[in-house]
Amino acid sequence: MRKQFRDTVMDLAGQDDKVVVILGDISHFLFNPFQDKYPTRFYNMGICENALISITAGLSSQGFFPFVHTITPFITERSLEQIKLDMCYNQFGGNIVSTGASFDYAWDGATHHCYTDLAILRLIPHIEVLQPGSRKELDTLIRSQYRNGRTTYFRLSENPHNIDVPVQFGKASILKDAGAKLTVMTAGPILGNVFEACKDLPVNLVYFNTIKPIDKEVIARYRHTKILVIQDAHGLHEAICEVPELSVTCHGLPDQFCVWYGKLDDIRKMVGLDPAGIRKLVQSKLSA
Amino acid sequence: MAAMAPSCREIRRSILKASRASGNGHIPTSFSVVEMLCAVYETMKHDPANPKWPERDMFILSKGHSALGFYAVLAHYGYFKTEELNTFGAFQSRLGCHPDRFKVPGAEASTGSLGHGIAMAVGVALAFRMQNSPRRVFTLIGDGESNEGSVWESLMVATHLQLSNLTILLDYNRSQVRSLPIPNPAERFASFGCDTVEVNGHDLEALKKALAKTSVAPKAIIAHTVKGCGCPTLTANMFEWHRKSPNPEQFELLMKELEAA
Repeated sequence: MRKQFRDTVMDLAGQDDKVVVILGDISHFLFNPFQDKYPTRFYNMGICENALISITAGLSSQGFFPFVHTITPFITERSLEQIKLDMCYNQFGGNIVSTGASFDYAWDGATHHCYTDLAILRLIPHIEVLQPGSRKELDTLIRSQYRNGRTTYFRLSENPHNIDVPVQFGKASILKDAGAKLTVMTAGPILGNVFEACKDLPVNLVYFNTIKPIDKEVIARYRHTKILVIQDAHGLHEAICEVPELSVTCHGLPDQFCVWYGKLDDIRKMVGLDPAGIRKLVQSKLSA
Repeated sequence: MAAMAPSCREIRRSILKASRASGNGHIPTSFSVVEMLCAVYETMKHDPANPKWPERDMFILSKGHSALGFYAVLAHYGYFKTEELNTFGAFQSRLGCHPDRFKVPGAEASTGSLGHGIAMAVGVALAFRMQNSPRRVFTLIGDGESNEGSVWESLMVATHLQLSNLTILLDYNRSQVRSLPIPNPAERFASFGCDTVEVNGHDLEALKKALAKTSVAPKAIIAHTVKGCGCPTLTANMFEWHRKSPNPEQFELLMKELEAA
């Protein structure tokens, strides 16, 4: 996904001289071609995330379309107030692109995990919160949103799914409508596991790439069913629950720090977000 | 101590009147920045009749709690009528206790949380350089604000990029003596790579001279100031008066002290 980010932004920079890249000392090797081609629009500013966001706001205030990029917890949780005030309250919009979704950096431990970013950022006015799950989704969403003047958060994952879904900003995709009494709703890369778990089960399946604004129209269409939200980060469930008169349960993350290492699949298995765990849960809902 | 310029005395009168009328305001910190703000607005390119003039220089008040002083200076230079100052902090006023760029003519950024304005100013300075623009950026920070790590992050980036179009004014009024002081600020800013000048922050001419000085690096003007400058009652009790509106008797006393300053 990071390579797609680089490729898309490289392409846009060729057409739009207002595109600027600000790195927090991550992905610098990946962006060497960008730096070579557009040296005056590339800044690896170092490990100072608070200032990075404010500086991004300053660039935006003068008509640039900046992409500021570094590791997820550092650019979101650490810099929350700068995002809230300097970008959103001041309406100096820009593109915040994180890398390392949820437990992508499993082996780095709890300091590098991030699962609150979507849920926290969606509470801020004047922001768009995106959770693309594949390279195609990322490419489409960047192109449609990057120069709209608003603050847009793109959450990159090192582990995208490989399912081809229709992509439109703010629109959920109905991947399966079986007329079932149970509707599974999910977002982002975990779709791969959800899709595999549910492929032969009698459920409806709805997929989101946009957490804010959430597609309330599609959600409301399934009001007459039981809704099961499956998520690997907080955010989708809370957004769905803004639609009134739903019957919603959520399968996501326990209220505890993940103090294990290993690989993403190890952690997903432990919290029941592997295909077998998801399937078992969905089957229990179906038989309830 | 330089004699107080008549214009600066008048601005301080406006601050006292607005605080009295509104029941709000950070008077001592507003008094400490008056000469700095006047020097900036007498140095930079700006047009009060056209606050969004595309060729203007930019000023960002990073220590947003000096808003009342900022508004009084903006009114003095013609951005809006002085009478509007008396609406300070009222529900539907344009003039809040921290500036809102969508409401206040001349306010380039909405500030209040410390350590943000200086970093936004770095971004603006970088943007001007990328545009090959001669426009300059000025930002005013406090010594209390300099407790924030983002101030030093901003300095590192600005000096690394050699943003010579950026001028940082430090209101060194020693308000942090009670908690985390910033001793030897000139040494600190110079060690981060700023072209650093120390001046009496209440000497209008010295400030203008420092602002006019050319630089190849970001410039830091360490302005030695007195919180509440002009009123001994304020300077002797700066913490008590940090955020306080005078009652009628206190107002009369402060006005008298100001006339005698």
